[in-house]
Amino acid sequence: MSHGMNRRRFLKVLSVTGGGAAVLSGCGIGPEPTEKLIPYLIAPEDQIPGTPTWYSTTCRECAAGCGLHAKVREGRVIKLEGNPDSPINHGRLCARGQAGLQGLYNPDRIAGPLVRKAPGRLEETTWDSGVALLAQKVAEAKRKGIVFVTGHETGAFGELVDDWLKAVGGRHVTYEPFAFEALREGNRLAFGTSAVPFYDFASARYILSFGADFMETWLSPVGFQNGFSRAHGFEAGRDAAMAKFVSVAPRMSLTGMSADEWIAVAPGTEGVLALAMAHVIVSGRLARVPGEMGLAARLANNLAAYAPENVARTTGVGAHVVERLAREFAASGAGLAVAGGMATHYPNGAEIVAAVNVLNFVAGAVGKTVKFGPDLAVDAGSFRDAAALQADLAAGTVALLLVHGANPVYSLGGFAQALGKVAFTVSFSSYLDETASAADLVLPDLHPLEQWNDARPRTGVYALQQPVMQPVFPNTMHTGDVLLRASGKPGTFRDYLQGKWRVLHQRHGRGKSFEQWWMEAVQHGGIYDEVPTRTVRLSPSAIPPGLAATRRGDDRYPLTVFPHPALHDGRGANKPWLQELPDPVSKISWHGWVEVNPETAGKWQVASGDIVLLTSPYGAMRAPVWITPSVMPGVLAVPTGQGHTAYGRYARDRSFNAFQLLGDSPAAYGGREFLVSVTVAKTGDHRRLATAEGNAREQGEGIIEALPLAKARQLRAGQHPFEEKQIPDYAEAAREGWAEAQHEKASLGNYAGAHPRWAMAIDLAKCTGCSACVTACYAENNLATVGEELITRHREMSWMRIERYFTGGERGVPVGAVVTPMLCQQCGNAPCEPVCPVYAAYHTPDGLNGQVYNRCIGTRYCSNNCPYKVRYFNWFNYAEPGGEWESWPEPLQLLLNPDVTVREKGVMEKCTFCVQRIRAAQNQARLEDRAVHDGDIVPACAQSCPSEAIVFGDLNDPRSRVHALAEDPRGYHVLAGLNTKPGITYLAKVTAGPGAEA
Amino acid sequence: MAQTTAPPPPPSPTQAPATRLTYDFVTRAIAQTLGHPGKGYFALLGSAVTLLAIGIICLLFLLRYGLGLAGYSHPVYWAVYITCFVFWVGIAHSGTLISAILFLFRSGWRTAIYRTAEAMTVFAVMTAALFPLIHIGRQWYFYWTLPYPNERGLWPNFKSPLIWDEFAIGTYFTVSTVFLIMGLIPDIAAVRDVVTGWRRRLYSLTALGWRGTNEQWRHYTRGYLYLAALATPLVLSVHSVVSWDFAMAIVPGWHATLFAPYFVAGAIYSGVAMVITLLVPIRKLFHLEDIITVHHFENLAKLCLLTGMIVSYSYVTENFVAWFSGNPHERAAFWYRAFGPFWWASWTMNICNGILPWLLWVKRVRTNIVALFVISIFVNIGMWFERFVIIAVSLAGEPFERWSNAGYNPTWADWGIMAGSFGWFFMWFLLFAKNFPAVSISEVKEVLAPPRRGRGRGGAA
Repeated sequence: MSHGMNRRRFLKVLSVTGGGAAVLSGCGIGPEPTEKLIPYLIAPEDQIPGTPTWYSTTCRECAAGCGLHAKVREGRVIKLEGNPDSPINHGRLCARGQAGLQGLYNPDRIAGPLVRKAPGRLEETTWDSGVALLAQKVAEAKRKGIVFVTGHETGAFGELVDDWLKAVGGRHVTYEPFAFEALREGNRLAFGTSAVPFYDFASARYILSFGADFMETWLSPVGFQNGFSRAHGFEAGRDAAMAKFVSVAPRMSLTGMSADEWIAVAPGTEGVLALAMAHVIVSGRLARVPGEMGLAARLANNLAAYAPENVARTTGVGAHVVERLAREFAASGAGLAVAGGMATHYPNGAEIVAAVNVLNFVAGAVGKTVKFGPDLAVDAGSFRDAAALQADLAAGTVALLLVHGANPVYSLGGFAQALGKVAFTVSFSSYLDETASAADLVLPDLHPLEQWNDARPRTGVYALQQPVMQPVFPNTMHTGDVLLRASGKPGTFRDYLQGKWRVLHQRHGRGKSFEQWWMEAVQHGGIYDEVPTRTVRLSPSAIPPGLAATRRGDDRYPLTVFPHPALHDGRGANKPWLQELPDPVSKISWHGWVEVNPETAGKWQVASGDIVLLTSPYGAMRAPVWITPSVMPGVLAVPTGQGHTAYGRYARDRSFNAFQLLGDSPAAYGGREFLVSVTVAKTGDHRRLATAEGNAREQGEGIIEALPLAKARQLRAGQHPFEEKQIPDYAEAAREGWAEAQHEKASLGNYAGAHPRWAMAIDLAKCTGCSACVTACYAENNLATVGEELITRHREMSWMRIERYFTGGERGVPVGAVVTPMLCQQCGNAPCEPVCPVYAAYHTPDGLNGQVYNRCIGTRYCSNNCPYKVRYFNWFNYAEPGGEWESWPEPLQLLLNPDVTVREKGVMEKCTFCVQRIRAAQNQARLEDRAVHDGDIVPACAQSCPSEAIVFGDLNDPRSRVHALAEDPRGYHVLAGLNTKPGITYLAKVTAGPGAEA
Repeated sequence: MAQTTAPPPPPSPTQAPATRLTYDFVTRAIAQTLGHPGKGYFALLGSAVTLLAIGIICLLFLLRYGLGLAGYSHPVYWAVYITCFVFWVGIAHSGTLISAILFLFRSGWRTAIYRTAEAMTVFAVMTAALFPLIHIGRQWYFYWTLPYPNERGLWPNFKSPLIWDEFAIGTYFTVSTVFLIMGLIPDIAAVRDVVTGWRRRLYSLTALGWRGTNEQWRHYTRGYLYLAALATPLVLSVHSVVSWDFAMAIVPGWHATLFAPYFVAGAIYSGVAMVITLLVPIRKLFHLEDIITVHHFENLAKLCLLTGMIVSYSYVTENFVAWFSGNPHERAAFWYRAFGPFWWASWTMNICNGILPWLLWVKRVRTNIVALFVISIFVNIGMWFERFVIIAVSLAGEPFERWSNAGYNPTWADWGIMAGSFGWFFMWFLLFAKNFPAVSISEVKEVLAPPRRGRGRGGAA
């Protein structure tokens, strides 16, 4: 301790302390290490850093063919939104469509061609040798049986496959696990055409769904939901009242949750019910039966067996209910009955569709809401073809099998075994799914967002698909190009596509040059034509003399296998957004479940999470029980989508594959039966369901308010039925004084002057709970997916969640469900703000509850004090490369939105009302020297919402939509009694259920 | 090593304590506690250090990987760590109560036990203060809550009860430490005069030149009095402020005007229980039966009884008001406590704190050391659960947003760090008890009959 501090000693101390800090941060303790941003050395000409470019293209996640706008920043697509020009989806997009991004950047994509050299191992190869091998195998297999299996293709690629097969001599099998065979056959039975009409939900005044999950996976869910909410939404002062929606199904699906009335019908008897309704309409002359003279009489004769009192026992629905429904349906003047989903997966699926067609016809709906002409392109093959193919494979009559866009090994029980008999299998999959893993040659296709193609989802709609960025994996190749190269043809698939469009140009060119017309089509995402409606005739023989009910044994339970709304037939399972997205009904993520009614569960003595063994005649599997009133007693339901044995890290080894319970032989109409009877055995095992659901009952807390239609109609402007007295009179003076003081304080510094007050209105009469907004939020705001284990521990990060509460079910009140999006309410008087010790939670001058991630130290006090529980904590570092909880493994991190911080561990995060979009719109307005217009700012959730239930704007602007909606008589604030002054106004749900008219 | 005075003469049953308790006896009896540590001592110290090591390892994992290793769920964002924080702050309360308030009230019986209570206070605050640092998400930025001039031009948010906490705990720690050190000075000087070796050097330094002159005593007693007066309001304020962490929030089950007195009573209750828990083994290990008598324990038990009754009353009031208010959220919160999935925690708390203290009405129980020891441990457990129920269970119940009801399961990271806190506390306590007089030499003498002519300084009859 001699002479105090000298330079050498100072440096020593400095290096030791610095070294200590370095050791700590090297161990991952302490602040994140600083990284450097490196600017472009030579800037690309067509890009302005920080400014997104938008490209139009077409979504290929399902057959609906929705138009897309892809947001590209610095050469990378970071967000998918709906294309407002597209008549299919009107600018809206579902969760699955948005998750297409995670297919593009999937960390388990195949980076280049693979070939099987030794059994059991795929090795890398080059494209030259891969294509040469393909050409060689095609030459060898000529006339020995070549089969090309594809998914549903409605455009140029499908035509190229057909052309190519014609040249080499082979057969094209389209395989979709859910292929609407019954719908086509039912239409043929009733109307003599297997076309699938366009269902105009928007013009319907009464909607009746026989099992059709038209908001989830049925035909064109986004467009249908959009139309549905136009019809079913409540608008004060609209002359025709909201359309009533009745769901007839043994199980309440996402679609069924929006129903004003749920008719739980014995599985397989939906058709009987439809015919009974038709009987009431025809015999009671409730509507003028269209068509030729005498048809009505013949129909009445054929329908005689279906008098409501005759079918009551079969269907389990009382005669008076059938009578009432039929009267309401006919009286609406524009009813729409749809049969689909579960109802078309029974052995008598086609008859059910035909029966519903009869109902539509006699009620005069055909031509009005059921529009033949703009037909939907759902000629997605038939299960009969797939079953025949499997038999051929097993018989060894196929020498070369090519698979593109289909995964039959996963969904067809005997396919894997049959595949062993095939000399050579080629897969064009981008991922090592079950089929690709079994292939001899894998030639990975480009992702749809990287390739040219087109789709014709509906007559008159020609949707173009263009690459929106350079391939993520440069060593992948468009399958169209591969086929062209293998057959020695010149040119690329793009040329082939343009060739097809040159033909279109002759018809639709309107005098423009091809180049100009093509460029415009690419910009708009395609060309859209109005197609006139054509008439169809009903054949009275569509009414069978008697419909058999599904047989039922004593110890067996009917089990329906339904497509998972997010994972669908399993193709969504490799996308963490979809895995983590709670199923809209069960709210379970990352694994499958079996739905059991409380009554049935009571009989079995099981609890939610108990694992049971389900055994069907075709297979057995273990599934955790989810006890729910949303399925009728005695019926079981399981979703598809999980239980992959391959298909990447997110899909593999998750619970069960429901396809294993199904048989391999097609029903009479060519489709697959998704209703099996099973025996159930308890296993004694238990698991925690991965769900964020706390309490399934609202317990009268007024989180969701609902009004019967009759009451809602009587509301007049200025009335506020939900406004309750928030504090007692004696406290009013104190509150006023306090509010005054706050007001004064709020006029200091940055808070002085006029500011906007950003606000939102959410119409619960429109919200269906589809959860598109949830995925939109994940995409826009870089929300981490935390995985199954952390979900079971309630560690989800979804800033926007959909709460689903069940109602009724007791004392004769029918079971129903209500849903609400719950997100930060951006309180004017926020409980989270004053408790933060470091001002990380603070109030912005424009009324947002700001959250400064860099300032947050993570006391979590704000969340404790938030009555809406919409603040989420970063328990781990979800962005740590290679970390156990890594959310964006390479190259998934490329989809991160550069406008939004990726949060580090230990900080709180929450909904910001997409503040980055607010600031971008403000900056743009400033550049253009104008004020921000109402509608300039659209948060990601509002943008995606297929129901258009969310409206955003400035509450202080008296001309804004949100201002008007905030004054709506149906408006209310959640937990208003806490005096939090939320920025979100919810508009009460309106129910047109039984008795609503009274 | 240290050479201490000879062990005291073995107590003989024929000798009444009053006759044995002379100045000399006291000095020797207490000083012998500083004697060569035995195997038992090392075993205890070893266990404490092992627990601490476990806690440190858990903490390192927590720092490296994040708070997710603990059992938190949405919306249970405060749980075991904050429970431990309040628990240890509560423990810290009896020290000041006994040393300051009882001093001002001139309660003579405090002299035998106040040193232990005071040391316990300081170490409990040291333990408690760790938890707010451990439980935050970015522990390395804890200093952002301190009001210091910085280039960001940002002060902490003085509206936040967490900042109030920081000041309350900081003040309390400072005052109680000063209080402890000041009380130690004459004793250290006394010990200094009888030891040799390095300890003599240590005590010479820490005795701050105490010679026991009249002048020094005069200053000392005045100073001590003022310090006691200064510390007294802290007994009430510190835990009131801690309670406002909860009462200021809108969470049903937290948001109650009752909280300040309720928490203060609970704190003293748990603190006194902890004093009993500590004194029983110390008395045994260090053979202080003559100095710390059953009388002292009975007085502590009475204090325990008083505060226990206040706590029980608070429980009743809390539930009554929840029902009487008619507020559905409040009602739901208390229903969830009693009959929800955490019923076992609530009933542990009710039984340990609300029912067990009734036993203390019985004098036979109050004067039975074993019974007191057992009850004190149950009270400690009950008070830990009280905080757990208030903090974690109120959050898990989530009566506003039913969707966010959630379970909560603590993990090894919770238990490990909690165990570490006990290790940390006992390590300090054991080191203190071996190196400084655990019973005040000078103050015990104050309440003895002064030596009279005819009885030698040696104390022999």
